[in-house]
Amino acid sequence: MAKYRTWLGIIVVLTIAAVVVISQVPTRLGLDLRGGSQLTIQVQPTETIPNIGEREMEAVQTVVEGRVNGLGVSEAVVQQLGNDQLLVQLPGVSDPQQAERVLGGTAQLEFKAQRSGTEQQLPIENQVLQSHLGELSALQASVPEGTVIDPETRERIEQLQQEIEASEAAIADLFEPSQLTGDKLTDAIARPSSGNLWEVVIQFNNEGGNEFAELSREIAGTGRSIGIFLDDRLLSAPTVDVQYAQTGITGGSAVISGNFTAQSARDLEIQLRGGALPLPVEVVENRTVGPTLGRDSIQRSLYAALAGLALVLIFMAVYYRLPGLLADIALIVYALLTWAAFNLLGVTLTLPGIAGFILSIGMAVDANVLIFERTREELRSGKTLYRSVESGFYRAFSSILDSNVTTLISCAALFWFGAGLVRGFALTLAIGVLISMFTAFSCSRTLLFFVLSMPQFRKPNLFCPGIATARP
Amino acid sequence: MKLHIIKQRSLWWSLSALVIAIGIGAMALSWQQFGAPLRPGLDFAGGTRLQLTRACAVENTCPDDIDLAEVRQILSQQGLESSSLQLLGQNQETLSIRTINLDVDERTSLQAALDEEVGPFDIDTLQIDSVGPVIGRQLLASGLLALLVAFAGIVGYLSLRFKLDYAVFAIVALLHDVLITLGVFAILGLTLAVEIDSLFIVALLTIVGFSVNDTVVIYDRIRENLKLHPDRHINDVVDDAVNQTLTRSINTSLTTVLPLVAIVVFGGQTLKFFALALIIGFLAGAYSSIFIASTLLALWRERTGQAYGDSDDTPEALAESPN
Repeated sequence: MAKYRTWLGIIVVLTIAAVVVISQVPTRLGLDLRGGSQLTIQVQPTETIPNIGEREMEAVQTVVEGRVNGLGVSEAVVQQLGNDQLLVQLPGVSDPQQAERVLGGTAQLEFKAQRSGTEQQLPIENQVLQSHLGELSALQASVPEGTVIDPETRERIEQLQQEIEASEAAIADLFEPSQLTGDKLTDAIARPSSGNLWEVVIQFNNEGGNEFAELSREIAGTGRSIGIFLDDRLLSAPTVDVQYAQTGITGGSAVISGNFTAQSARDLEIQLRGGALPLPVEVVENRTVGPTLGRDSIQRSLYAALAGLALVLIFMAVYYRLPGLLADIALIVYALLTWAAFNLLGVTLTLPGIAGFILSIGMAVDANVLIFERTREELRSGKTLYRSVESGFYRAFSSILDSNVTTLISCAALFWFGAGLVRGFALTLAIGVLISMFTAFSCSRTLLFFVLSMPQFRKPNLFCPGIATARP
Repeated sequence: MKLHIIKQRSLWWSLSALVIAIGIGAMALSWQQFGAPLRPGLDFAGGTRLQLTRACAVENTCPDDIDLAEVRQILSQQGLESSSLQLLGQNQETLSIRTINLDVDERTSLQAALDEEVGPFDIDTLQIDSVGPVIGRQLLASGLLALLVAFAGIVGYLSLRFKLDYAVFAIVALLHDVLITLGVFAILGLTLAVEIDSLFIVALLTIVGFSVNDTVVIYDRIRENLKLHPDRHINDVVDDAVNQTLTRSINTSLTTVLPLVAIVVFGGQTLKFFALALIIGFLAGAYSSIFIASTLLALWRERTGQAYGDSDDTPEALAESPN
């Protein structure tokens, strides 16, 4: 029996270690359980960069990370997903809208000199644009509350949107292409200007400062303006006073005004600090769960699962008697070991992940059921108690192995090809199945044989009701 | 109690065929209505779902119920009149709106309008799901791929451990379970507007993994019995094997389904239909292992002149049995 004592010792040590791990290493909860936003960002190819490769993705990721930091979310995660997607996880984010706005915009800031000879055109084009914009907002406001937009109005709105795009392009045409862009900035700060309006002060780096001085010197006193463009849309077009004609505006700092609200100025500040994205992106998936909602769903599902498990434990003890009771102990040990393994391996528990865990408990129970059923059969065929238990374990082994391997195969398929939630489920189920094989053959077995070493438990009817008690 | 599964096999088969036929009928009907065999949820169809709980519900001080007509007005103002609305929660305090896929500005303006007219809403219980059409297709494709790879892996493993004919009938049984689950959800989609999401694909894969378990346990016993009694007819061997493992099949189904039933009854909204899919699939799996996989194997062996024990079926575990 010394062999079983050693095993018993190992199991006790492992169980204590598991409890220590669970209390010391925190369980990592997924965003669906603790609340937060998960965004999937699709990087889109452009005419100049038709193929998105490793380098482009890294560049985009760096910028996105910079912006995520600007949002001030702790423990945020940015990771690549497939060839052209990024996954951004923002735990406990309070304003998912802001996150999506800030991460989605390209934020390509450009300072361009106006082409000479277009001084008359710019105000005209601008007027056209403003009148379109005015009509559009008037139209949108004119729809009385509680009515359906009639098709005529909707058609006009769509038409206006196209015209607005066309005149934005026309305005952009009035300016010369330029090298002075948002990546030559060191800082950006949003501040209130006048009334409710905000502006963004930017600080150029050395190179940018020189280029800006050069640009402003060229323009100064000519009546032409510097066009400040964000994503090819003209924000403002200030002219430069003639006094700068000699040196240009030095000091490397400029103010971007436009119709900024406090919010949009803050968004631009974060975007400019993070830098412009080399490629346009689109947020193609947003999953946001409020913090309380996540807590509610974890609690409800956990209570439900615990209630179900309690029923299973009771069933095992009632139906399988002594071995069932021992299996219950083994199952509790199993649950503790698996939980500790999740914490140690850094598995992020999501709602489907918990489902996978519960299912793996089902598999662990199945292993025990197989063994005990086999033991009973052997007992009924007239074998001694000890031999029956021995052969119950022995003969059930190949069934348990085969059935667990097939489950592991589907877990592997899920893990490689699945996404997000699906992977979490596959991972917890696979870890659970592996540990359940160990506990069924070490823990249940050791406990049973240890108990069998005590004469008072060596009664076949404790194993199988209705069998003659006389056999040793 | 002893089940005569071989004798009554035409009964078991017609029962399964009937259920599957009804399911396929429901899927055909769904195809006409939604252009898909099951009612596709947000994950696959794309779109935006907002779930908003009123702030007053936290302290349970809501003076009146949410006025759906008012919500519809707001939606039509924003050109979203084709959206679907639902009230959730014990006191109908949660508003769930599903629209076409909205970008962040459209969503913000909708939320602001709702907050002003119907709200205020509690920011802590907000839920947003917004899925673009690309992601929807991606989720579906990766799920189906995983399912196919799992099938192939299981066939490979079972042909290694048993023989090819065992593996083929195990897959037939799996298809049976998957079809029954799909059929039931097609019916649920038509009657109760239950939609399938990516968790449903997870459920299908779990069903595949689990129900093959049941089949494997019975196969294992058939293989063992063939070795022990090479002179017995395959029909008797299969009958014995099924009956010897019957208690185990019932007890295991019971212990796996119990926690799932608890989740269906008491669990959160998200996991409810996931657990239901698993219950249907597991029960179908237990049924198909007992009544479909084993009877088909017996029929095949009988027809191909292998009705009596085959020495190739040596289970390595048994070769060194301690008895």
